[in-house]
Amino acid sequence: MKIKLFGTHLKNRVLLASGVFGFGLKFKRVTNSVGAIFTKGITAQPRKGNPPPRIYETSSGMINWVGLENPGVEYFCTNIIPQLKKLKTRIFVNIAGFTMDEYEHSVERIGDTVDGFELNISCPNVKEGGIAFGQNAKMASMVVARARKKTRLPLIVKLTPNFCDPLVIAKACVEAGADGISLINTVYATAYDIKKRKPLITGGLSGPAIKPFALYCVNRVRNVGVPIIGMGGIVSGQDAYEFLLAGASAVAVGSVVLRDPYAPLRIIKELKKFIYQETKHAR
Amino acid sequence: MIRSLSIIKKTWFSKNTFGLEFSLPGIKPRPGQFFQVRVNDSMDPFLNRPISIASYSGNRLLLIIKIIGKGTNILSKRREREQVTLFGPYGKGIVPKRQKSILLAGGIGVAPLHFLAQMHYKRKIPFTFLYGAKTYDEIILKASIKHMANRSIFVTEYGSGRRGTVVSAVKGMDLSDYAIVYACGPQAMLIALQQLHLPLPVYAFCEDFLGCGCGLCLGCAIMYNGTYKRICEDGPVFELERIHFEN
Repeated sequence: MKIKLFGTHLKNRVLLASGVFGFGLKFKRVTNSVGAIFTKGITAQPRKGNPPPRIYETSSGMINWVGLENPGVEYFCTNIIPQLKKLKTRIFVNIAGFTMDEYEHSVERIGDTVDGFELNISCPNVKEGGIAFGQNAKMASMVVARARKKTRLPLIVKLTPNFCDPLVIAKACVEAGADGISLINTVYATAYDIKKRKPLITGGLSGPAIKPFALYCVNRVRNVGVPIIGMGGIVSGQDAYEFLLAGASAVAVGSVVLRDPYAPLRIIKELKKFIYQETKHAR
Repeated sequence: MIRSLSIIKKTWFSKNTFGLEFSLPGIKPRPGQFFQVRVNDSMDPFLNRPISIASYSGNRLLLIIKIIGKGTNILSKRREREQVTLFGPYGKGIVPKRQKSILLAGGIGVAPLHFLAQMHYKRKIPFTFLYGAKTYDEIILKASIKHMANRSIFVTEYGSGRRGTVVSAVKGMDLSDYAIVYACGPQAMLIALQQLHLPLPVYAFCEDFLGCGCGLCLGCAIMYNGTYKRICEDGPVFELERIHFEN
């Protein structure tokens, strides 16, 4: 299952998506088994996150509205990176921001202490910045180009499927120097409180409910010319394999770890079987 | 820790509250700790249900569940000898202090406080158990509470017995004898209790929708001492005075 992506060797194609596994410092048996982890989104300044409720379960999925709670890039560099270095996996830092300067600053500050970056231009849970860059090809291209100047490490861009064509954005990102594309981030969603007659939560939908949409989006960008990391509702090896068929080079698992933190271990095993079957047929 | 355990006993405590008993040796749970219980093997409902420990004695674990929605309804259909997947125990919980205390339970909030009462009883710490529910039928574990507590008071909002809520009942009590209060119940009860500004420390057992239950997803935030803490990982027991309820 070993693969080489962005010039880096990964032990397998199953990665941990940003946001659901913190900084990967718990459940080390899991983090040490996956191909790479994408850290919780890091911003230039610390953020305390959104008020509760931050999570709401929906049919075969959930809405989250965490709001990029994180300790900020300075704390991350001094206190978290030394611990991350002890993990036996590749580390991609998810960078979020509200201005282009912030993205640039965070990438520069972290430097080459990690294995790569994932530019988060798709978080639906903050008021400004973030997703606005991801919905506009020109802005996406500018964010990527500026980050590109600050690092030689692999630069992946995480795209939103919300109110834009991921293919247009993906092309712009690749032209600006992105080494890879990851998609999809969560889907805009609202749940209502019928007693109060108003929304209970508005945030991003994830989980198996969004898998068909995610597969569509991955398939749409498959010929963009750089490796794609597919994600959205993966809960089994078969789901992961479907993403590979849709054009992804690797997959990331997210919400399923809330249901079972050890799920990635099972998915790696199951996916191995599918890939083995495939190579057997090819012979 | 993931475990698949067989239900060794299922008990209906009231028409919408039931208990599942499991044999689980080798854990040393603290009051307030909980298990993430998988509803079923399908992906709908997607998330596990956080259920606090109501009793742990002689390697037998009792989880008491009130039917609230779809997930707990499905769980209520599980039968004895069926397997249930549990993750945990999660949460920091609390180590009971050796001081005379009042345990204030509202509704299904009785579950974790029953476990706390068990600890008090085993360690011979004196305590009063004050327990309120909507109706008398919803009062559960009455015999066990009466047996363990030095004094037990049951109040209901409607129906027979002493009328009122735990908050109105504690308001009328002479607290000079007590050193500490533990409370668990709906958020409205905790807010009302907070507004009483009791002259002794109050520890609240909090609840919320949980994602992972183990500090990964940052989904269960509570404003405590000016910063967000996780109910799952940092709690679920917090000093009531320092909580700022936002929703």
